[in-house]
Amino acid sequence: MSAPAALTPVFVRLKLSLLRNGLRQSGGRKAAYIASAVVALLFAALQLLGLIALRGSDHVESLVVLLVAVLGLGWAVMPLFFPGGDETLDPTRLVMLPLRPGPLVRALLAASLVGIGPLFTLCLLAGSVIAVAHGGAAFAVGVLAVVLALLVCVALARAVAAANVRLLTSRKGRDLAVLSGLVIAVGAQLVNFGAQRLGSSGLEQLDPAADVVRWIPPASAVGAVHSAGEGAYGVALAQLALSAAALAGLVAWWSRLLTRLMTSPDGSTLQAAGDSAAVRDRTSTGLARLLPPGRTGTAMERSLRYIRRDPKTKAAWVTSLAIGLIVPLFNAWQGTGSVYFACFAAGMLGIQMYNQFGQDTSAFWMVAMTISSGRDAYVELRARALALLLITLPYVALVTVLTAAVLGDWHRLAEALGLSFALLGAMLATGAWTSARFPYSIPQEGYKNVAPGQVGLAWISIFGGMVAAAVLCVPVIALTIWLNVSAGGEGRLWLLLPAGTAYGAALTHLGLRLAAPRTARRLPEILAAVSKG
Amino acid sequence: MGGSAVSVRGLWKRFGEQVAVGGIDLELPAGRFIGLVGPNGAGKTTTLSMVTGLLRPDQGSVEVVGHDVWRDPVEVKARIGVLPEGLRLFERLSGRELLAYTGRLRGLPGAEVDRRATQLLDVLDLAGAQHKLVVDYSTGMRKKTGLAAALLHNPEVLFLDEPFEGVDPVSAQTIRGVLERYTASGATVVFSSHVMELVESLCDWVAVMAAGRIRAHGPIAEVRGEAPSLQRAFLELVGADSRDVGSDLDWLGGGSR
Repeated sequence: MSAPAALTPVFVRLKLSLLRNGLRQSGGRKAAYIASAVVALLFAALQLLGLIALRGSDHVESLVVLLVAVLGLGWAVMPLFFPGGDETLDPTRLVMLPLRPGPLVRALLAASLVGIGPLFTLCLLAGSVIAVAHGGAAFAVGVLAVVLALLVCVALARAVAAANVRLLTSRKGRDLAVLSGLVIAVGAQLVNFGAQRLGSSGLEQLDPAADVVRWIPPASAVGAVHSAGEGAYGVALAQLALSAAALAGLVAWWSRLLTRLMTSPDGSTLQAAGDSAAVRDRTSTGLARLLPPGRTGTAMERSLRYIRRDPKTKAAWVTSLAIGLIVPLFNAWQGTGSVYFACFAAGMLGIQMYNQFGQDTSAFWMVAMTISSGRDAYVELRARALALLLITLPYVALVTVLTAAVLGDWHRLAEALGLSFALLGAMLATGAWTSARFPYSIPQEGYKNVAPGQVGLAWISIFGGMVAAAVLCVPVIALTIWLNVSAGGEGRLWLLLPAGTAYGAALTHLGLRLAAPRTARRLPEILAAVSKG
Repeated sequence: MGGSAVSVRGLWKRFGEQVAVGGIDLELPAGRFIGLVGPNGAGKTTTLSMVTGLLRPDQGSVEVVGHDVWRDPVEVKARIGVLPEGLRLFERLSGRELLAYTGRLRGLPGAEVDRRATQLLDVLDLAGAQHKLVVDYSTGMRKKTGLAAALLHNPEVLFLDEPFEGVDPVSAQTIRGVLERYTASGATVVFSSHVMELVESLCDWVAVMAAGRIRAHGPIAEVRGEAPSLQRAFLELVGADSRDVGSDLDWLGGGSR
């Protein structure tokens, strides 16, 4: 037997191969892979430049310390939401190899330093140091700080991943990963909100928070650079020591977790059988009793259950509900809005009608086996629209009322409601039709919402459908404008509520009628389209 | 019974350049336990999908109990039960909810669906897990749930694509028992498999498929012919010689590294 090869180069090469293999996928995926890498690097470069430009401005140290803290937080939660991102993160894959924890920890840590994420982090850390370092001593501390902070970030991600490996490899973990898009969307809103406030009142707002955070690793390493620049060498040393201690602690914790993981049997299947909580039988309780009998109630009930239980569906709904509420209300609060913005909620929620059968995945065959006529297809589609309306109709009304209340624009409430309902009807109609005409797969794993090769189809379906819905609403919009500008029209604006509602209902009915025979005729084609990926 | 349960004429399916099914003519007798056997990639799944109306053929016609699958779906879909391979179930429902859903979509009265579901869950050993989500089920439990969903409306013909694939021996025995009882009442089961021993012990009629065509069909004794087992007969039919691997891999075994 040959002498055991050094572990670290092997793992670094493995990581490089994994990165390179990202390029060896089919056209669309390869393009997406390269594009995401380029965007990340561009963003990193811009960040670096931005931080360098901020050098010397007041309170920049507070900003930098907080940035690094957020970065550290990102590394801590990343493995929970993107477990598929780094296959070497899952140590259970290495269980069968005869490895000792010491060399393994070093090798895995080195491998973690290879990749776009670490490179991005390195850029940000380097920029942070340049932004706050003044004098030779500070730069010397800075070099040490960058290395320390980067290692703390990486070790943090590894340790968190190892601690949660049971969760990450279970169904619940994969469900959690699907919600990652939601976290990013909400995070972006918060960052946006924070940036707006900072823009209006300056960086000194950050100081109180930064005073605490600059003692927390990995931000304390960057805090040390600033302290060294000010001549407070004792403080700098303490801050560096804190980061170093954190690193040592994380590595020790991670190493213990690794040893335990690799020596204890994998009980994930036993556990899944034992502790996964059973769903209570709801077949004859609550809502189900209020739903109509037959296919209508049955299909409605399943749609509603999927909103609650299917992570993809749930994420889409929560995003729609949140954005549909945030956009009109935030605009109203900032005084830039109008009550017509409330239509946004109807538009966002109407999107849920799109690609109905894609949401079923290949389980659509169970529906297809029971549809043998246009009538069956009509009842099925209508049931799905009704399930959607059960949530959407009150929600849209609520958002419109709230927007009107914030703006104090009560006399426009009726027409805004009318417009919203007309738009909702148009979205349901176009959604039903495109569901039958342009179905596409929604992959169940990961955070992609379109299967590779069907992106064009999804764009046609959603954007074509939305444009068509807007066009369908033109008569109601025209009526609104006419009543607003014509003499004496003001008094009859309330007419838009019944008119818009009736128009929306008629559009939905028409859309379902047109979609149903097409659905019934194209069952095998729809099944093939939604079973990809 | 007599007559044919399924009648296939000139069935073709191509995927791009590849011919998956290349002109099949087949009469499957009613009231039998029928095995559709063949190696992986022979076109079994494609054939069963076309026969059950889940995949549109390029050419050819299929009749199930005398009704054309594509022209008369109302009659056909009410009379068949299907357990496809490689397609999901509605996994975010519990086993019981899935049966309740399927039965009601089929137009059965709710109380009757619940009664049959309870019995099927009991017989198939799923009663203990009936309130767990299907996504947390094992392969065997999924196959049994799929089988229960396919049987719920008491179909005349049952199509099962690889019902025993990845199923543990205990679940396999349970499935077997249910199917044997079902055919004894005069119904027809058509199932695909590449495990010859299983087909030999279960079926009384087989059709052998290879490379998109039917190589042989008929009562099992007829297809087996002179060969000692169905396995041997099958290998001869599909023309698979037993390759000699003795001279390669000479380092394998013996303890030295």
